[in-house]
Amino acid sequence: MMRKGWGAVALVAALVPGALSAQSWKTVTMSRQLEDNDEVRVFVEYGAGHFTVRSVDEGLLYRMNLRYDEDKFEPVADFSGDRLHLGVETIGSGINLKGREAGEMELELARGIPIDLDLEFGAVKADIDLGGLALTDLDLSTGASESTVDISEPNPLGMGTAKFEAGASEFTLRHLGNLNAERIEVDAGVGSITLGLDGEWQADAELNIDIGLGSLELLVPEGLGIQLRKDSFLASLDSEGLIKRGDVYESLDFEEAEHRVVVDLDAAFGSIKVVWIR
Amino acid sequence: MHMYQLLRKAVPALALIALALPASADAQLRAIVSKNVSASSSGATLELEFSDDGTLRIALEDGDVLVDGDAVASYAPGDALEVEWRSLLGQAMTLENGALAEMLVEWSAPASIEGAEAEAGLRIDQALEEALRDTNARVSSDEGEITLSIGEQGSLVQLLVNSMGRLGVLEEALEGLDENFRVHVDEDVTIEEGTTVEGTVVVIGGTLRVEGTIEGDAVVVDGAVDVRDRGRVDGEVRIADARIVRNSGEVRGGIVDVLEQERDFESRLRDELREEIRDEVRRDLRNEIRNVARFDDDESFSIMSPIRPVIRGVGGVVEKLIMVFVLGLLGAGFLAFAGENMDAIAETARRSPGRSAMVGLAGSFLLVPVWLLGAVALVVSIIGIPVAIAWVPLFPLAAGLAALLGYVTVARNAGEWLADSGFPWTGWIRKTNPVFTLVGGLLGLSAAFLAAHVISIAPFLGFLSGLLFAVGVMITLVAAQIGFGAVLLTRAGRRREYYGSYDADAAWEAAMNVDVGEGSDTSSKDEV
Repeated sequence: MMRKGWGAVALVAALVPGALSAQSWKTVTMSRQLEDNDEVRVFVEYGAGHFTVRSVDEGLLYRMNLRYDEDKFEPVADFSGDRLHLGVETIGSGINLKGREAGEMELELARGIPIDLDLEFGAVKADIDLGGLALTDLDLSTGASESTVDISEPNPLGMGTAKFEAGASEFTLRHLGNLNAERIEVDAGVGSITLGLDGEWQADAELNIDIGLGSLELLVPEGLGIQLRKDSFLASLDSEGLIKRGDVYESLDFEEAEHRVVVDLDAAFGSIKVVWIR
Repeated sequence: MHMYQLLRKAVPALALIALALPASADAQLRAIVSKNVSASSSGATLELEFSDDGTLRIALEDGDVLVDGDAVASYAPGDALEVEWRSLLGQAMTLENGALAEMLVEWSAPASIEGAEAEAGLRIDQALEEALRDTNARVSSDEGEITLSIGEQGSLVQLLVNSMGRLGVLEEALEGLDENFRVHVDEDVTIEEGTTVEGTVVVIGGTLRVEGTIEGDAVVVDGAVDVRDRGRVDGEVRIADARIVRNSGEVRGGIVDVLEQERDFESRLRDELREEIRDEVRRDLRNEIRNVARFDDDESFSIMSPIRPVIRGVGGVVEKLIMVFVLGLLGAGFLAFAGENMDAIAETARRSPGRSAMVGLAGSFLLVPVWLLGAVALVVSIIGIPVAIAWVPLFPLAAGLAALLGYVTVARNAGEWLADSGFPWTGWIRKTNPVFTLVGGLLGLSAAFLAAHVISIAPFLGFLSGLLFAVGVMITLVAAQIGFGAVLLTRAGRRREYYGSYDADAAWEAAMNVDVGEGSDTSSKDEV
């Protein structure tokens, strides 16, 4: 669907070259074939616009579709050794997006090869699905964004720590269990955070959450053992389904659960809500 | 030589590629590892990176058609060509590698496009074809590996057609090199600054520009070499039918012109031929001038032409008569000082001509071996050395004298026979005077030669003249052999058993044709 959509966009841009003159829009499609790649360190940066990430299984290392204002941005696609740098960089010193149409970036990354992924994006609307990627490390950083990160399929490789950093954003993480990470760190500034602890957990894990100001909703699947340690200043906790044992809140079957997640929560202002899901 | 042989092995591989090219485009497309398609209001660009590190960039930007940065044609923004190009790139966005290459190769500007747009479309089409067709081949063996890169398909066919000629030069250029080869045919090659290439770089029909480093040798055939300031070649730079554009870099092994010796040899050969022709012309001119000055008897027409056969014929007759005179004098000497020996030889020749001839023939064949063996035998035996000193010159002299003695003796016999023959012009030959019979016999033996010379004066009788010459030669040879044989048989006339004792009565009867008495005995004249 995405490929067809981009083909249509490209055709429109191609057949009507003069119609896009309000901003100097440029449409770019970049791709690279998989070669004898072992592990690839991928660094993606995107400033503003609509940002999507998917996995691809067509013998490609990556495919990137961009639509950007060529007066303000320039694309980056640099692959050397085991490092892949993708995205869009600004030209000059800063941009003013007011009154401007946002650009788009669609990124597809290869399934099957180990990837150390570093995503940085700013004022974007991000729709990221990391399902199917073989991640060895993950570091995601977003600014003022409306971001959804889904790990729709289990990560075949385990990783040590997955880090998520969100600024002023509406940030949603789904299927964190599929990350197959020993430790997950979420650092949110201001915003609404939703963390889905569903997915296929392979082992026990730690989840460190640090929120400045905002709401946190924890979506916990039934059967997952959860223990919540809270260190908050003025933050409310709706701990439905949890029992307090000393300084911690635990699910009823925490001790018997096949997989357990220890949540270490540090919240200054806001609300914390635990929602059980089937 | 190993690499030369390996290179020769590459020719069949090239032939296969050449055969495959027109027939199967799909199988011979280069692998695209990276694609970059971009479109904006000002232009549309396609960038490809191939698995062999090659790249292609075709862009329609602001009215220019750019291929790898070079403006190859122009277009009007918004025209049909740009629309077509953008449409092509729209499809290229959704395709990868093989499918993408296939689609790009099959693209051509629509027939509806005309004029400059059509030309621009053609250039784009050509650029796509040339970049996407895989004209590289790799041949490996135990000795090493050759990577072949062909600039244009046409040059591949040309290489195959001319391969033996070029390989002949390559044989010299590659001699002694035993590393991996990168061969580039009909294309320019640049070793970029900061780039290091291992092995031997061979460029045939192109320019090798060295800005980086070649850790090996460089061979250029039918092309040019340009070693830039920071360029470095660790080995030799070998050139054959190639020129040095610049050598401001570093060539550690030096520059070797492999055809220099061949050129020197050709130059020397040319000079020698020129000198020979000059001498020949000079000689011919000199002879011509000499012939004209002497009224030479060449076959060309001159004032002497009508009398030339007469002069030649009369000259031959005079020459022969002089020879008869000389031999007559020699014979007279023999008669005076060795008359009895001569009688014995003459009688032997008369009674046993066949036997004498055979002995003479055998003696002629044995003369040289006997002379040599005798000389060797005398030299080997130390005491024979003084004799050998005399043997070497005297033996041929003695043999010559024996031959002359035999010949004049046979001539005397012939003269006696002529005196009895009653032929015209033989009346002057008197048997009582041996000198007359000798001279008569010499003339008789030379009659065929004399007749040949006389007949040669007349026109159109060349054949008869030649025939008479042949007869004269035969008579002379036979007479000489009989005479020489008789000399040998009689040991120069000292052995008389071959003709017996002289019978005065029989001689008188024979001379006077009378019977002087019954007691005459002729049995002693039987051949022994």
